[in-house]
Amino acid sequence: MHTHHAYRVWNCCLSLKYGLMGLLAEEPLHGYEVKTRFEAMLGGTWEVNIGQVYTTLQRLERDGLVRPVGPRGDRGKLLYEVSEEGRRVLAEWMDQPDSGPQELREDIYVKLLLAARLANGDLAPLLSRQKRAYLQRLRDLNRLEERARRDGRSDLARLVRGALLHTEADIKWIDELSETAISGESE
Amino acid sequence: MSELVRLTEITKVYQGGVTGALNGVSLTVEEGEFTAVMGPSGSGKTTLLNLVAGLDRPTSGSVTVAGSDLGPLGETALARFRRDHIGFVFQFFHLLPNLTVLENVLIPAQLKSRVSSEAAGRELLAQLGIAELADRYPAKLSGGQQQRVSIARALINRPTLLLADEPTGALDTRSGDEVMELLRQLHRQGKTVLLVTHDAKLATRYAARVVSVMDGRIVDDARLETADREASDVIKVRGEETR
Repeated sequence: MHTHHAYRVWNCCLSLKYGLMGLLAEEPLHGYEVKTRFEAMLGGTWEVNIGQVYTTLQRLERDGLVRPVGPRGDRGKLLYEVSEEGRRVLAEWMDQPDSGPQELREDIYVKLLLAARLANGDLAPLLSRQKRAYLQRLRDLNRLEERARRDGRSDLARLVRGALLHTEADIKWIDELSETAISGESE
Repeated sequence: MSELVRLTEITKVYQGGVTGALNGVSLTVEEGEFTAVMGPSGSGKTTLLNLVAGLDRPTSGSVTVAGSDLGPLGETALARFRRDHIGFVFQFFHLLPNLTVLENVLIPAQLKSRVSSEAAGRELLAQLGIAELADRYPAKLSGGQQQRVSIARALINRPTLLLADEPTGALDTRSGDEVMELLRQLHRQGKTVLLVTHDAKLATRYAARVVSVMDGRIVDDARLETADREASDVIKVRGEETR
């Protein structure tokens, strides 16, 4: 499978690899242009190291997925375009739904399970602190969404909307745990 | 800022059920604050709002609003207190169907003085962007328009405190946003707003203070920061990383 091959070879992010390829599929770009375009598409939520971009482009070139167009421009800049094979591989990735396991990356999941063991099962302080952090996050996201819409940055607004709904779900989860904690305590 | 609302050790017991009951709630609200009271249905958040509005009385504990202790007030005095200090916006608008928009808006004003404040009513409707609806009847209006009318009615007596109980609950997203924008503008003009909602997104978008109510008790009182953060400080998009 292609992805297994990629796991061994690519030491960074698959969505960066395909993101760069996707932008090069629109039109040939220099390394720096594709970096700024990638960051702009993500509304500044993902800052990419320029070195990482060049390394990625070199690997894509080595694997025959992109190729340089024409001679080196001023200051040695090289224009890249996507190869036919690159377009095929990109389309394959785009058609593949994200079907892996649900990712729970934040520390709260482990903290919660530990607190149930260590704090005599008293989760209330942990839940209350976490809820506050989520509420602050929700407020920050709300402001970011309003700003993005005002500035006509619809790509960013879409991302923020997803983040907002995730945070809302996190709060529901905390509330559910708190309710169980409260009713457990009064029984 | 001075204190506008003080609830002290409030208990509210309902005969035959626990839904909406309160159990030892204390809360103060400062003048000029936009506070959201958030909780699931049956948590007691509407009861709390009704006590502040003088629409209901606690089983024990005291409610003080704008310097008046509501406990000793009789029904007439309580009605006067509501008329002078409270503007209330309900989920289902509660407009009288046989009265025009303007007449609905003027009900509280007519309770206050016999002099018609029609000019004030029309001005308020204009401020809320519904001047042209003044002579129509509620049944002919959309939900968002009806809620604007109910906001005008809540404001006609220049209340000290604006209370809103799920004001967007019966509206579509767009009308709901417009109604909330109105509340935000009123807050920016100095109005103290107390919003009851089950919706965390709504609460944190408009209120800098979020009081969480659960099972008749206040379980959290969060004062949130209002900052324009960089997108990268608020969201981090990460690709699938390989090890």
